[in-house]
Amino acid sequence: MSFTAFYKRNLGFYKLAIASNLEYRLNFFMDAMLQPSITSIVEMVLWMAIFKGAQATTIGGFEQNYYLAYALWATFIARATVNWTYEFKMIEEIDQGTINGLLVRPMNYYEYYLSQLLGYKSITTGFSLLFPVVIILSTQLPTDWSRFPAAMLLVFYYLFFVYSISFCIASLAFFFNKVNSLTVTKNLAMWLLTGELFPLDLMPEAIRKVFLLMPFSSGVYVPVGFLTGRIGWDALWQGFISVTLGILFFSVLGALLWRKGMKAYVGTGA
Amino acid sequence: MLVQVLKKYGGIFWAITKASAIAEIEFRLNFVMKIINDIFWYAAQIFTFEVLFRHTNLIGDWNLQQTRVFLGVLFIVDAFYMTFIQENLDRFSEKVRKGELDLLLTKPVNSQFMITFARISVSCIGNLIIASSWFIWSLSQLPDFNWTKALWIFLLVPAGFSVMYGIRFSIAALAVVFVRVDSMQYVWYQIYRLGMRPDSIYMPWLKFILLTIIPVGLIASVPARAVLDPPEFWVIAWSVTAGPLIVWFSTWFWKQCLLRYQSSSS
Repeated sequence: MSFTAFYKRNLGFYKLAIASNLEYRLNFFMDAMLQPSITSIVEMVLWMAIFKGAQATTIGGFEQNYYLAYALWATFIARATVNWTYEFKMIEEIDQGTINGLLVRPMNYYEYYLSQLLGYKSITTGFSLLFPVVIILSTQLPTDWSRFPAAMLLVFYYLFFVYSISFCIASLAFFFNKVNSLTVTKNLAMWLLTGELFPLDLMPEAIRKVFLLMPFSSGVYVPVGFLTGRIGWDALWQGFISVTLGILFFSVLGALLWRKGMKAYVGTGA
Repeated sequence: MLVQVLKKYGGIFWAITKASAIAEIEFRLNFVMKIINDIFWYAAQIFTFEVLFRHTNLIGDWNLQQTRVFLGVLFIVDAFYMTFIQENLDRFSEKVRKGELDLLLTKPVNSQFMITFARISVSCIGNLIIASSWFIWSLSQLPDFNWTKALWIFLLVPAGFSVMYGIRFSIAALAVVFVRVDSMQYVWYQIYRLGMRPDSIYMPWLKFILLTIIPVGLIASVPARAVLDPPEFWVIAWSVTAGPLIVWFSTWFWKQCLLRYQSSSS
């Protein structure tokens, strides 16, 4: 298989995701902009109330502005690193047998949705990040712009990790009917483990250490903490390493589940 | 006449509940995971506030014990929502697109009733037990709590639930006119999110909006406040009035939407 063919094919999938997501513009606007904007506003208001109640200038060693910046970025980065849509699609296809139509094509099922996920995330993230960028620039909330590319690189890299987990969950649909609930469980767990709810440094020390060692923290806490000056380069590198290990683990698991699943799968009637 | 109508709809409701239970238990893994998911969601909400209160004594004007009561009320209302409404209204837009609404409209039953209770999430009934247990436990943690105040819940939780239902149904009804309104679902969850935090954290103007124009503050904050603080009778009166009013509006709005309905399946 030549690299050119591989590249062209995946670029096609990538563009397909962008086109299909831009098809319904109102939907796209709500998804990419309105939803995270409201969430971030609610979270910022909550932090203001916390500081008012605490009657302190710092919490956990950081001033209010650091928490506002964290709440703002975290909401948007969390939206960028979560996968619902394509995971549900994959599960449904396996569950209903419509995957047959894709299996007979000269392509790899894994790359088909990976490229689409990357396309979808590129367009929504690129558009939605305009909101925090404008707010940060106009309010001077703490953000180190020189760290922005490295933080975004980790976010992008983390997508491969998220997709590896999605692929594992979708592969379980070969063995069980209706595994959609697993997607919800996984995303709820990640909601907590990534640091979307609050900065992980507010947790008791022992729990915080465990959370930071896991790759999930690279979904929100590490890139946002790095961008807003809560953590340094060492934590970022640690993030890259743990995400790499996570990708390796879930890729191997996904490959095993897929192989076993394909043997067990009987695609009749679709 | 009224008894006959109640009997008819009670019978339908019971039949739906039985059918839903059978359908859900069929997929056991899914059933168990749904229960685990809800426990996760509760745990995440509780954990968030427990961690935040390690760093402050007050959020808005409530301390940790009072915020736990607020969460208890929120969990109870949410449990009702998850059990009876969530799945049905979340999938309503898809049903319209696939033309399933046509079949429903031809049945000799109230269409709003059928859409609202098309399927009962039996797995979520456990949520009610968890939510009520948490609520009672949180009240027991309040020093010198007058338990008669807890009776407000029986009036204000149904009122809050009605508000929640009325707003959610009205948003879902838009699918009849616009067909693809998945994005409106996102809007609903963001509006609801505003009600998932104590109303006292908001600025006075925003709090006023959340109690009147978009009254999601009535869902959990007002019932919790009635239990915790000296009752503000105008707020309670408004809450009790707003619930039926919004449900009535949702029915009127549904009828208006149906007038503009163009069958998708034909």
